[in-house]
Amino acid sequence: MLNSIILIAALSFGANDGFSQTLLAAAYDAVTPAIGLLEYSSEVTDPATGETSKRDGNALALLVSPDGLVMTHGHMVVENADPFNIRVTLGQGDNEKKYDAVLLKKPDDINVVFLKLKSETPLKLPYVKFSRPNGLMLGSEIALFGLLSESMDFNRAFQAGRIASILEKPRTTYCLDDNVRFGFVGGPVVDTQGRVVGVIGFDLSRQEGGDVYVRSGHPLIFQSELFQQYIDTPPKEKGDEKEEGDGWLGVFTQPLDDDFADYWGLEKNGGLIISTVIPGSPGAEAGLRTGDVIMDFNGTPIRAKLDREVVGFTKLVRETGPGKEVTIKLFRDKKPVDITMKLGTRPRTSQDAAEYEDTVFGLTVREITTDIRIALNLSDDVKGVIVRRVKSGSAAQLGKMRPGVIILNFGDHPVTNLDDFKAAVQKLAEQKPAEITVFARAGSVTGFFRLQPRWDAHE
Amino acid sequence: MVMKQFRRITLVVMLGAALLLEGCATMGGTQRTVIRAKDKVSPALVHIRPVKEVYSRGKREEVVAIGSGFIISPDGYVCTNEHVAGDTKAVYCVLSDKNEVEAAVVGVDPYTDIAILKLTTDHRLPYVKLGDSSKLKAGQTVMALGSPHGLARSVSLGIVSIPDRHLDEGDSRVSPYNNWIQTDAAINPGNSGGPLVNLRGEVVGVNARMLRGAENVGFAIPINVAKEVADALIKKGRVQRSWLGISLQEMLAKTKDATQEGVIIADVDPLSPAYEAKVQPGDVLISVNNHPVNARFEEDLPAVRKLIADLPVGTAATLIVKRGTDKVAIPVMTEEGPEFRGMEQEFSEWAFTASELTPEIVRRAQLPSRKGVLVSGVQVGGMAGNAKLRQGDIILRVDEQEIENLQQFTQTYRAVVKAKKPMVMLFVKRGALTLYVLVKQELPSEGENQEGASHAE
Repeated sequence: MLNSIILIAALSFGANDGFSQTLLAAAYDAVTPAIGLLEYSSEVTDPATGETSKRDGNALALLVSPDGLVMTHGHMVVENADPFNIRVTLGQGDNEKKYDAVLLKKPDDINVVFLKLKSETPLKLPYVKFSRPNGLMLGSEIALFGLLSESMDFNRAFQAGRIASILEKPRTTYCLDDNVRFGFVGGPVVDTQGRVVGVIGFDLSRQEGGDVYVRSGHPLIFQSELFQQYIDTPPKEKGDEKEEGDGWLGVFTQPLDDDFADYWGLEKNGGLIISTVIPGSPGAEAGLRTGDVIMDFNGTPIRAKLDREVVGFTKLVRETGPGKEVTIKLFRDKKPVDITMKLGTRPRTSQDAAEYEDTVFGLTVREITTDIRIALNLSDDVKGVIVRRVKSGSAAQLGKMRPGVIILNFGDHPVTNLDDFKAAVQKLAEQKPAEITVFARAGSVTGFFRLQPRWDAHE
Repeated sequence: MVMKQFRRITLVVMLGAALLLEGCATMGGTQRTVIRAKDKVSPALVHIRPVKEVYSRGKREEVVAIGSGFIISPDGYVCTNEHVAGDTKAVYCVLSDKNEVEAAVVGVDPYTDIAILKLTTDHRLPYVKLGDSSKLKAGQTVMALGSPHGLARSVSLGIVSIPDRHLDEGDSRVSPYNNWIQTDAAINPGNSGGPLVNLRGEVVGVNARMLRGAENVGFAIPINVAKEVADALIKKGRVQRSWLGISLQEMLAKTKDATQEGVIIADVDPLSPAYEAKVQPGDVLISVNNHPVNARFEEDLPAVRKLIADLPVGTAATLIVKRGTDKVAIPVMTEEGPEFRGMEQEFSEWAFTASELTPEIVRRAQLPSRKGVLVSGVQVGGMAGNAKLRQGDIILRVDEQEIENLQQFTQTYRAVVKAKKPMVMLFVKRGALTLYVLVKQELPSEGENQEGASHAE
């Protein structure tokens, strides 16, 4: 049965450089019981047309706690895809056991996803415990563990690899020397001392919604320190509002490279130039201005010279936490200025935006989150909801509504948020008017749509 | 007009390159009529080779294109499309006697896509008779003359598919002020500016568009529109139109109730006379200077836009709008309409091009004012390109200098280039964000080696 707890670090192997057959076999025996098969379905929305399709997917599931916390690769949760019908199969052959699982909120700084297995009784499952990857060097040998394909019965397997490159910024990143098979993505990485030091992963590209690290396409080792905090304190279930949130300043920055420093007559020590201040943000309230150069954030010197160093600052602000009073040292017109201010709460992103599906007109709409506002270049005074999907054959489709349209008024009910829209739809469903007028914004222009609901179809 | 990016038809302007075609069209008994009609027009047919000035990928270039046209007066005025004769450095015309003559551009009107050329000649030229496009009927036989794919003096035959096709204003290649003649007479790239002719040998349209991916769906500008524009171009060199800054929508977008008359005001430009006068989106326009207006269907919209455009520039006008159940009289001052395209210029030292901001660009970029210039192209490997300036950026500031317009930007640019400042800071808007772009001026005359060395570290 699957109830022995793995502690790879406790196994002693002796050999430090290279894998012996004994070591690999022992590691295989120790690690693979914690590897399961994740199966799920996903509803994918084409962002341009709003058309949805459903597809099945599978991936490697890695147990990271005895009570059923599962880690998998982050591609399960990408822009415009909503996973459902999530199951995890543990064990193989006669020992196979299937669990339903719940998706937890995806961390926004690392491309992994956590799931919680559902069980009536408390679980005690084999799991992987991670160690810090000290001692990983360029050329170090590592062993990866994962699943073979369906035709190979998802049999567990290993693959040898080496560290081919180490990137230093914005975080230490180990690159693998070769591509990995699909079933190994999210699988555990074992070093020559038999310790599980991380998992195999890919960063999200910007197109996939990655806004922090965008080194997609090359297999990386996500070392344990990048996600251990989420194992210690698992994320909340998706849609759970009772979370504390991250710190937020509300500015966009550019690194102070030596040329910029030269131009402004500042020392060439790096820093961050404030390039945009979001109106109404904590930074705006505190009087931060474009052109200010941040040199120190609450005691941490800011030394950014490269674009990718900006993310370190974002992370620092997030982790400092909402409501925290901070002191920012900056240069304004070459003179040092200290600004003491309270951080705000980082606004929700489109990934977590609340949605509402109306069955009468066939519209699925979303709240306008700050990131959507920036992506669509919407000024602050545009308040409404954004159409995410238009149901095929619906009154909304007949009325030529399209995803991306921002509804400002729905049937003579002003719409400034999701609740307004819900209330408007409910009111109209009672009144059953023959036609309703929608005032909306599409791109940079406003205009009207006329919808003729088929009320008899909803009796 | 509204929701423009969602209802866009891909229309192709028909400037041609050479390609061989084969085909014939004869129609039994009508053959003699067709030939007679063709013979009336073909002596006045012109094959046009304009040398066009094109701004592309951060560079100004000159390219030779092909179009068509027709002589409208014995002293040598030629009607063609703006997209044939506009932005040209020279225009060469091959006449029906196969002789080539250089033509002067008298005037262009991008809003209707009409241009007038003048041939220099010492003798009377054959010219066409202009018909009345308001009398056209669907099903009526018409023929298109011109240079499809560069094949001069070609004729194709078809019928009027519909005399008043509404094409969405959202496509920048579509006139807001008129509907179009749709025809199945074959129209190809190179037919642009050529005449659409009825069986009496009268020109009833100016061929100008085709629908990409469709077969024999071509569009011509009604000759009545072309006549009015041609008159203005010949008299004044340009067409002046009034502008209020409102977008209109047909009543059907709001209600099926045919008793509700007027035109919906769908949007009001934030930097416009209508905005100043507090016209609101959702107002229903009932009359303009006591002329009642009504557009139940989208086909009715161009006439209303034209009525507004024809108001004298810089004068007071009164709009009556229905707002809810009230009728409100709104006094507005008309303003001259914006240029169709902003002026564009190449900045060769930095290797990029920039253009003026039009109200359309200002609205899309959500700018608080019309101050700034739009980066229209950036060359790879140039100074602007190295500084990561991008196409679409709006330059708001150069060093400490706020940028007002293209002319003032050009002066500022010239000054920093002349002063050989080693670094110039641009403050630009990119989408919703602003950022700093530092241009390092690598000066050709001195320090070339030094620069190279510092790059190599």
